[in-house]
Amino acid sequence: MRAAALLLAVLAWPAHAAWTWSEPVTVNSVQGAAIFPHLESANRQGVAVSGGAVGVVWEDNRSGIPQCYLAMKPATAANFQPEIQLSKGECHEPVVIALGAGRFVAAWEETGKVYARVMPDGKTLQLSKTAAVQVTLALRGNALYAAWAEQAGRFRRIVVAQLALSGNTLHLQTAQPIEAAMPTDEQGWPALAVAGDGSMTVVWEDRRHHHTVPMVSHSRDGRSFAPPARLTDIKSGSAPGGLGAGTGAMRPTLTAWGEQGFAAVWLDKRDFLSGYDVYAAFDTGTRRFGKNIRVQDSFGDNMAQWHALVVGDAIGRLVALWDDARDGTPDVWLSEWEGEAFSDDLAVPAAAGLGGQSDPVATLDATGSLHVVWLDRDEAAGTRIRYARAGRK
Amino acid sequence: MKLIKMVLAAGCLWAGTALADPPKDYPFVDFDTGLKAAKASGKPIFVYFGRYGCAWCDHTNKKTFSDAGLKKLYSENYALVYVDAESGKRLTLPSGERITEAELGVRLQAFATPLFVYMTPQGDKIMQVPGFKTVQDFQDYDRYVRGGHFKQKTLLEFLGGKS
Repeated sequence: MRAAALLLAVLAWPAHAAWTWSEPVTVNSVQGAAIFPHLESANRQGVAVSGGAVGVVWEDNRSGIPQCYLAMKPATAANFQPEIQLSKGECHEPVVIALGAGRFVAAWEETGKVYARVMPDGKTLQLSKTAAVQVTLALRGNALYAAWAEQAGRFRRIVVAQLALSGNTLHLQTAQPIEAAMPTDEQGWPALAVAGDGSMTVVWEDRRHHHTVPMVSHSRDGRSFAPPARLTDIKSGSAPGGLGAGTGAMRPTLTAWGEQGFAAVWLDKRDFLSGYDVYAAFDTGTRRFGKNIRVQDSFGDNMAQWHALVVGDAIGRLVALWDDARDGTPDVWLSEWEGEAFSDDLAVPAAAGLGGQSDPVATLDATGSLHVVWLDRDEAAGTRIRYARAGRK
Repeated sequence: MKLIKMVLAAGCLWAGTALADPPKDYPFVDFDTGLKAAKASGKPIFVYFGRYGCAWCDHTNKKTFSDAGLKKLYSENYALVYVDAESGKRLTLPSGERITEAELGVRLQAFATPLFVYMTPQGDKIMQVPGFKTVQDFQDYDRYVRGGHFKQKTLLEFLGGKS
């Protein structure tokens, strides 16, 4: 325990280090009052940085049905290039990760199955044979994984796949459920990450306990998985009188953190009177997640938080982001891990103030810069997808 | 309030089948089906925004929605819609926007479940009321909504200051 605490302290990023933000730029080239872009995805993987190039994925209905798009900003460019359409049929919840040298892997759900493609020049690979949703990706070194929620009888269950890459072509090597047994209730919204030792962790929403519980499993090889454990440190159980089955929690997100660790962040309603709060848990390398920690500060206590995610890196930087309306309208907030607790909440400057700014997605690049993308809502002019980068002062 | 919170937080016995779903034997349908039905019938929409496993939803189902008169009143006069607060299932808003059921909670600024939303047959929100409600409460809301009083008065004014 002491060793774990020491490691958490070592992994602390300098407290209160300030960010310098770039001027925000707009990502989506088409906007309108009846066009609705969305940044929703499993593990909120809507932005990646590859060799300095920034890739952003989203879904919108400009064509009459929801379609998925990728826009790229080359390393030396000030603005994003016109977006590339990823899908042909109805598409939802796209994700993107960086391959390096300006290349990306995107994945998405299209007409009820999940697909992946190397961008900008690869061919589309169908990942799921049967109905599936909520795909997500993870990469470290040569280990490339995808996970999704796949129909198995009455319910969906989490399937993890190993992918191989040759040139710009993706290959599906293995795809298997975390548990061999058929699911007894719904599973969904997986998030994957690969640690420095090559081991992989997956977290997801699970309803086997008759309410939504974030669960976790580890794998050393991507093929055999540890029995699922709870990510939350509160038990399931009904209230007096046999009412209900437990408190709510949803949309777990996960990042590799430090050399061997993982950090997870999710929305949690254990304090049921103030909407969802942002909670986090750490695995410092033991392959067990510890005590849950509330992320947002006291000023956000009486406010519902939404769209939470966590991003981290091998050096130990760790940032959680979300939106809430504590100042009257939705703004994007972030908090950094400081070794023993999360920092005071900071508003992302260009994603705060008048109007609604929400639905953040983010990534940390190799230099430690934080790249944030969010929705800037304007009912008359249409919603813009905005991007800004932050470096350390 | 503190006592209620403590009582709910203290519950740790496994309930097995104690779930929070739509109340039994009511004709609740999904959001898109309900909006279509409301447009066709001209009936207002009653959205039950619940959470899987929610104790207060369970309590409301057992104490309030079990009332036969209330069941008749709401089944006959509303398009009944059930939305799962944490679900990724998609629905289409009257604007044409496709969002998940969970995202509807963001748009409604839902703090707690259950949350009950009354809408016109066209899908415009009339009002939303959170938390446990009694049979009398739902009868009052019905008079307020179907009587058209919401066009002239706030709910509080209509109820004569009774919350």
